[in-house]
Amino acid sequence: MSADVTAVVVRLKLSLLRNGLRQSGGRRAAYVASAVITLLFAALQLLGLIALRGNAHAVSVAVLLVAVLAVGWAVMPLFFPGGDETLDPTRLVMLPLRPRPLVRALLAASLVGIGPVFTLCLLIGSAVSVAHGGAAYVVAVVGVVLALLVCVALARAVAVANIRLLTSRKGRDLAVLSGLVIAIGAQLANFGVQRLGSSGLAQLDPAGDVLRWVPPASAIGAVDSASSGSYGVAVAQLVLSAGALVALVALWSRQLTRLMISPDGSTLQAATESAARERTSTGLGRLLPGGRTGTVVERSLRYIWRDPKTKAAWVTSLAIGLIVPVFNALQGTGSIYFACFAAGMLGIQMYNQFGQDTSAFWMVATTISSPRDAYVELRGRALALLVITLPYATLVTVVTTAMLGDWARLPEALGLSFALLGAMLATGAWTSARFPYSIPQEGYKNVAPGQTGLAWISIFGGMIAAALLCAPVITLTIWLNVMRDGDRWSWVLLPVGALYGAAVTLAGLRLAAPRTAARLPEILAAVSKG
Amino acid sequence: MTSAVSVHGLWKRFGQQIAVAGIDLELPAGKFIGLVGPNGAGKTTTLSMITGLLRPDQGSVSVVGHDVWRDPVEVKARIGVLPEGLRLFERLSGRELLGYSGRLRGLPGAEVDKRAAQLLDVLDLAGAQHKLVVDYSTGMRKKIGLAAALLHNPEVLFLDEPFEGVDPVSAQTIRGVLERYTASGATVVFSSHVMELVESLCDWVAVMAAGRIRAHGTLAEVRGEAPSLQQAFLELVGAHGRDAGSDLDWLGGGAAR
Repeated sequence: MSADVTAVVVRLKLSLLRNGLRQSGGRRAAYVASAVITLLFAALQLLGLIALRGNAHAVSVAVLLVAVLAVGWAVMPLFFPGGDETLDPTRLVMLPLRPRPLVRALLAASLVGIGPVFTLCLLIGSAVSVAHGGAAYVVAVVGVVLALLVCVALARAVAVANIRLLTSRKGRDLAVLSGLVIAIGAQLANFGVQRLGSSGLAQLDPAGDVLRWVPPASAIGAVDSASSGSYGVAVAQLVLSAGALVALVALWSRQLTRLMISPDGSTLQAATESAARERTSTGLGRLLPGGRTGTVVERSLRYIWRDPKTKAAWVTSLAIGLIVPVFNALQGTGSIYFACFAAGMLGIQMYNQFGQDTSAFWMVATTISSPRDAYVELRGRALALLVITLPYATLVTVVTTAMLGDWARLPEALGLSFALLGAMLATGAWTSARFPYSIPQEGYKNVAPGQTGLAWISIFGGMIAAALLCAPVITLTIWLNVMRDGDRWSWVLLPVGALYGAAVTLAGLRLAAPRTAARLPEILAAVSKG
Repeated sequence: MTSAVSVHGLWKRFGQQIAVAGIDLELPAGKFIGLVGPNGAGKTTTLSMITGLLRPDQGSVSVVGHDVWRDPVEVKARIGVLPEGLRLFERLSGRELLGYSGRLRGLPGAEVDKRAAQLLDVLDLAGAQHKLVVDYSTGMRKKIGLAAALLHNPEVLFLDEPFEGVDPVSAQTIRGVLERYTASGATVVFSSHVMELVESLCDWVAVMAAGRIRAHGTLAEVRGEAPSLQQAFLELVGAHGRDAGSDLDWLGGGAAR
């Protein structure tokens, strides 16, 4: 009976693959091409791993590779949920199936496809690269099978958990952030590879020492242990992987059963989340000044944390503001002036302030009745930004300076950062009032259709204006650097930059406030589109 | 009779389409006022212009004697608004939203917290006060929006479709709060296209269609000879006599096909 179900589901998977190819010639070509490339890549990796045989660091490379592979399997269903229809068990909900045969059948179906073949190639390569002697090969056969099953079960378990997640509001919030994870992950991976190229495989050993105990990499670690005659260790490592497999399958099976017999998450969450945890004031409110200022700062800070769009924008700014100066410094191409990136990136968050409110801006609009109200509102938003940006920009500048060892230039780098930050806040406030645009709340778009021009004027015009506003401080910096004995006076740039930044910010807010107060209906209309 | 709201020659065009075509209206103070009309009659546009959220092409609006566009300081403190189709700050919890809204209006923090707690209690939202508004149902959203509009004790309250998509229990709660509020002498102006509701709640009605006011006055005046407000309304907007009965004679149970 259960064998029947397995056969049916595996055949279903094959049919789905075949039918997918039948839909169009282009799709078939793309599939064949990707299959050929993937398998070529796998073959090359296999050869590379076999060539690594005998290398002292082979085991570190092998376990790291398997660990990366497992992470890949875990995140794949999150980013490509539609990729494999048999991954979605809700499609099977109406069929009279018991959980146990279903789990077995779905696991078997998961082994069909290019992904598992690719993984298998890499696992075999990894095992071969570290296996020496008959016992090791025996362990390798068991280890490769175990590792593959753990990868597949991991993907299944994540996919099932994800179905529940994606039907809830929190899941949709998370999906907005997922693109970000890939972007930052790619930056880090790129940097890691560059470092590896320059300083050799020995770098990997500490990671390898840990990962050889983490399933499914521990299954390959076991092969290495068997090669060196530590059979007890090898068995322990295999048992770890087997345990992980059992745990994953159990988790998956339980989630699957629950999913099949309960209503979908969108209706479920209202019931479960109503037993809400207490959202007490974090003490933040007590530290802030009273009145409109404190209220606006508190709301802005809460939104940075709670609103997925705002959060994604902030995390991107924080990450790029750190990565650019620090990685450039690490690679020896750095300049202390790159540290201004942090201030510049975070200053961008001041742009389109009211667009970030969406149409909820009406709540602000109904409470602004004078330029003074608008000024306090904008100043509160700038303050919220400074609470994070000022310490962060300072920290990035100090860290960059420390890495370059160029302490003499710290004051001028800080001064420039503060001046730039001030200019960004000023132009940000003004463009927020003059060129507001909608930010759609769903999907990855950050500008509503038809407002792209507005967004360009706002951001790029604003940034050019900010650079021009900084000109006096930049000129002074250049002059002090060129002038004889100028270095003696370069400390002056810190107070000058800070004061200039503050003055420009205040002037920008003063200019933006009457415009905001006079244009409330127009701003509301602009930010309510889409 | 003093006016809570007076509107003169109000116009609004969106491109080719005329949304509001010259409205003159005096809304009496201390009444429960219904602005009724079919979809697309211009109710939301009118209310937006009266509350300062949309700039009129022509015309003037004054609320309790102050011009909305020339004297916003006097007006904004005296009115409460619950618009339709606009978001709230939904990543705040219900309680945080009220705290935010009250403090933006310059009320002392302790007073805001006291009033917010009472409003949440009366509107039956106390159990959900720490949940984010984004997770609220339609009825709960309307209620929290109403609480935010009432928090600063306005003289005139403008509600755009406050009962749209609201379950009967929440509707009854909202109704109770509004009745208590008008009984104390305050003015409520609300828009709706549900005639039964308007008939049972309001003592003064303005009927809108195609951007114009077709009739206004006390409920009795507008209803006139007609048996119900619904009938009077259908005659006013010219929808009477279009009986669907004769055309779809094939439609019905019993005779299959």
